[in-house]
Amino acid sequence: MSARAGAGFGGWPLAFRLARRELRGGVRSLRIVLVCLALGVAAIAAVGTLRTAIDAGLRADGARLLGGDVELRAGSQPVPDAVRGFINARAARTSDITILRSLLVAPSGERLLVEVKAVDAAYPLLGAVVLDPAVPLRDGEVAVEPLIAERLGLKLGDELRLGEAHPRLVALLRAEPDKAATPAFFGPRVLATRATLDATGLIQPGSLLQHSLRVQLPPGGDAAAFVAALRQAFPDEGLRLRTASTAEPGFSRFMDSTASFLVLAGLTALLVGGIGVATGVRAWLEARARTIATMRCLGAPSGLVLAMYLVQLLALSAVGIIAGLVAGYGLTWLAAQFLAGSLPVPPRLAPYPGPLALAALYGLLTALAFALWPLGRAARIPGAALFRDAIAPEGARPGWGVLAAQLAAAAALIGLVVATAGDPRFAAGFCAAALATLGLFRLGAAGLMLVAGRVSHRLRGAWRLGLANLHRPGAPTALVMVSLGIGLTTLTAIAQIEGNLRRQVEADLPKRAPNFFFVDIQQDQLARFDALVATLPGVEEVRRVPNLRARITALKGVPVAQVRAAPGSEWALAGDRGLTYSATPPEGARIVTGAWWAPDYRGAPLVSLDASLAEGWNVGIGDVVTLNILGRDLEFRIANTRAVNWRGMGMNFALVASPGVLEAAPHSNIATVRGDPAQDATVLRSVTDAFPNVTGVRVRDALETVAALLSRVATALTATASLTLASGVLVLGGAVAAGQRRRVRDAVVLKVLGATRGQISAAWAVEFGLVGATSGLLAAVAGCAASWAVMRFMLGSAWVPLWGVMAATLLGCLALALGFGRIGTALALRARPAGELRGE
Amino acid sequence: MDAITSHPRPLPEQTPTESLIEARALSFSVASSGGVVNILRGVDLKVQPGEALGLVGPSGSGKTSLLMLLAGLERPSGGTLRVAGADLAAMDEDALARFRREKVGIVFQAFHLIPSMTALENVAMPLEFAGRRDAFDRAEASLRAVGLGHRLGHYPGQLSGGEQQRVALARATVAEPALLLADEPTGNLDRATGGLVMDLLFGLRERLGTTLVLVTHDEALAARCGRVVRMEDGLLSGGVA
Ligand SMILES: Nc1ncnc2c1ncn2[C@@H]1O[C@H](COP(=O)(O)OP(=O)(O)O)[C@@H](O)[C@H]1O
Ligand SMILES: [Mg+2]
Repeated sequence: MSARAGAGFGGWPLAFRLARRELRGGVRSLRIVLVCLALGVAAIAAVGTLRTAIDAGLRADGARLLGGDVELRAGSQPVPDAVRGFINARAARTSDITILRSLLVAPSGERLLVEVKAVDAAYPLLGAVVLDPAVPLRDGEVAVEPLIAERLGLKLGDELRLGEAHPRLVALLRAEPDKAATPAFFGPRVLATRATLDATGLIQPGSLLQHSLRVQLPPGGDAAAFVAALRQAFPDEGLRLRTASTAEPGFSRFMDSTASFLVLAGLTALLVGGIGVATGVRAWLEARARTIATMRCLGAPSGLVLAMYLVQLLALSAVGIIAGLVAGYGLTWLAAQFLAGSLPVPPRLAPYPGPLALAALYGLLTALAFALWPLGRAARIPGAALFRDAIAPEGARPGWGVLAAQLAAAAALIGLVVATAGDPRFAAGFCAAALATLGLFRLGAAGLMLVAGRVSHRLRGAWRLGLANLHRPGAPTALVMVSLGIGLTTLTAIAQIEGNLRRQVEADLPKRAPNFFFVDIQQDQLARFDALVATLPGVEEVRRVPNLRARITALKGVPVAQVRAAPGSEWALAGDRGLTYSATPPEGARIVTGAWWAPDYRGAPLVSLDASLAEGWNVGIGDVVTLNILGRDLEFRIANTRAVNWRGMGMNFALVASPGVLEAAPHSNIATVRGDPAQDATVLRSVTDAFPNVTGVRVRDALETVAALLSRVATALTATASLTLASGVLVLGGAVAAGQRRRVRDAVVLKVLGATRGQISAAWAVEFGLVGATSGLLAAVAGCAASWAVMRFMLGSAWVPLWGVMAATLLGCLALALGFGRIGTALALRARPAGELRGE
Repeated sequence: MDAITSHPRPLPEQTPTESLIEARALSFSVASSGGVVNILRGVDLKVQPGEALGLVGPSGSGKTSLLMLLAGLERPSGGTLRVAGADLAAMDEDALARFRREKVGIVFQAFHLIPSMTALENVAMPLEFAGRRDAFDRAEASLRAVGLGHRLGHYPGQLSGGEQQRVALARATVAEPALLLADEPTGNLDRATGGLVMDLLFGLRERLGTTLVLVTHDEALAARCGRVVRMEDGLLSGGVA
């Protein structure tokens, strides 16, 4: 110990000894600090642990989930023979899978959009398919997910229709080992053999299907080395390869963004918890002011006082944090049960040190960031205070060292949020928004107190008393408003975002959105198709375009593997893209650069490209795009770029070619049909009965799938945000309890002066009602602003205020404030005047 | 290690002619919402080592304020103040804290024991602050000296008012300070108990050779001091040295 530290401080051992003595007296007043920290830490620990557990599940079961050591996704084209030869020479076993969407028709004529998975005899390379009953699946037979049987009212033995084939239902598909690799996203699963699929006639040039080849390597085979060798042997094929250790990219993107939203919701709970920490610590130290002053009189330096209370706070925080970690782990377990159906793998639950340590660090930094200020103030209580009545250090400011430490803790907290976020910019925005919201509520409280001070003397009765209570010095108006407001702001924001997304996928469907997409219409069916739909009832508009599948192989002569595309545009370089051709610009398209070709243009191939993709790929007018169509490379020069409205629900193609090039290539067509929704069933049945190979997708059904996914995410977010509200309610309860002594004394004095219980209650109803209404209003406004920002900047879409959500926020806030006020009032009114006055 | 562990004897190198307290034109004012309040308005005071000084005067005249200045708990607004060889006006917060635990013991009207600590722990505290290893042994001896050797492990809440004040007395004297300050120490006690506490206080003072400044309303009590001064509206009158 240095002389300086010894002189100024007294040393940590002494601080520990004193802290232990103090803690003997119990920590009742710090319970709220403990619970607030625990709630926030629990939320963050739960989200992090679940995330890690799902990742671990994916990793552990990777090979089984992928259905092999390596998977080659070939898209709509079969795997090229050279590639297949290369693989067969090195693999232990391979298995071919083909997946496509189609309509499954029941004997009753009912039909359902399903995903058909056609497999070969080698399937599955790993794991086992569970069929009920356990029969072998032969050609001409299918197994379906129980959901399908339920929806279509099927029983075993039924003859179904799939395209042009009539397979028999022989079993229910209870388990599919590789479901995570090929999630049946657009419809439930039908399992069939490849021969059954061939018989359907659904495989046509331009059909939307997905061929893949699963590879099992010989024992000891290195998947990464295999992939590298394959890529090297076929550099220009644009092979899409995945190994068991690379998780499903789409799913992990979805998980990443869901998890980061959840983490932020957890942080909000921690933020409110922090406010609870600050107020709890302040109340605790106010009760210790006499002790602190005594110690200062006896010669304790302020550093020792600070150290002693810091030790106590840290000890308690540790308890709160550990409780939070345990609770968080429990929540993970609950969430895993709740989510069991919607996760591709069962999460591997275990107390992972990483996310738990991160949650603990968040808790510790929050405790420091919020408690150092009151601690620093308490350490500066002078010994002289003992000789005076009022001990509270009015306006005292902590020492510079403490201030610096507090700022460092706050900065570390923000830094940690930003550094651990999937999207740092969004996380930084979140921090800024959180600070702004805190500021808003403080300002709102200051405003309310100012107004109350101005007008209270002009009023009479309950209003006058209630308003006077609001602006009296030391009134907890700001605290009550912040603690209530932050939680409700979060919930409002989530509800507004979800509501807005829902509107977009459901209610806000563009007026001219089609009812149906019909895909895979063959060239020779066009005339009959047009004639049929023209006779169908309720049909108002039919549009039709050719549809080809193309893979982009090079931009400006550079193979796509070497192209560095901006994030958000690289997806379109991988795999198949839809491609059409047209003499005229698509309806509603806005040309951004260049010009559309003449309607009778028949020159060298030109292409029109989506403007944002062109920007992301850094290509422009005159540059050459090389497209692989049905195995042949063709070069197209960019003639113009278009702004595509992807939300219009019409037929949108990133690539539109000039006419004269592709007409001869075998391809299919897509049609949209718009009309009276009441006739939807008839239209679907008529078209798909007449054209068994054509698949009809009802737009509303597809959107409902998306909406259902959305609502599951929203439920998880709301559950996490509820912890914020719980923290807020705790803090609110603490604030009301802290003011209770004064309330009792006021009640007694008012009773002595002749006020009735009714009058006293009314005054407090005014006080709490105004606080609740103001913070409800602010929460509605702040929630709207937050949801607007998320919709506008993150999702790039329109936003409308949802008045119902706002009204619910306002009413919820009012109800909470009045409820707590009511309890406090009832308790205060019970105090007997005589006893209270004698005790004074 | 240094001054913390070495035990500073009270009055180390003072010649008998040097005063233990020397205040010249000492003034003290505080800013309050109603403007500046001049509490002490030029106090001159000399107290010799070993002397006992009684400080009397009406309520609100500034006695407590003077005591706080002497203890280094407040800073003078003007004038000079030397206590036990230290220039209090020139010392920072931590130096004043060290000064207090080495040189000054204080007894309050309201006892001010720390409720979460036992009698023994309360008494040991100043020595603990000073980093003394024998803190608890000496605290026990000090409690025996005030007749509380059998109540070491009791908490303040388990002691009567008189006993609490005796613990406070043991605490104020445990470090054998050069200066003992007492602010109406019997104000919260009945006459008999107060008498007992005062007997103890004067007995300890004599045994340790401590200088005493005793604020009291009780003229008879003040008379037990060698010298009595009267505070009136922030000024000392009568018997000023
Ligand atoms: N912090 C303060 N602010 C304003 N006035 C004060 C403050 N401290 C003391 N006083 C006033 O100074 C005067 C002297 O107080 P004090 O020293 O306690 O007197 P005594 O101990 O003689 O009763 C009193 O009138 C008191 O109200
Ligand atoms: Mg006084």
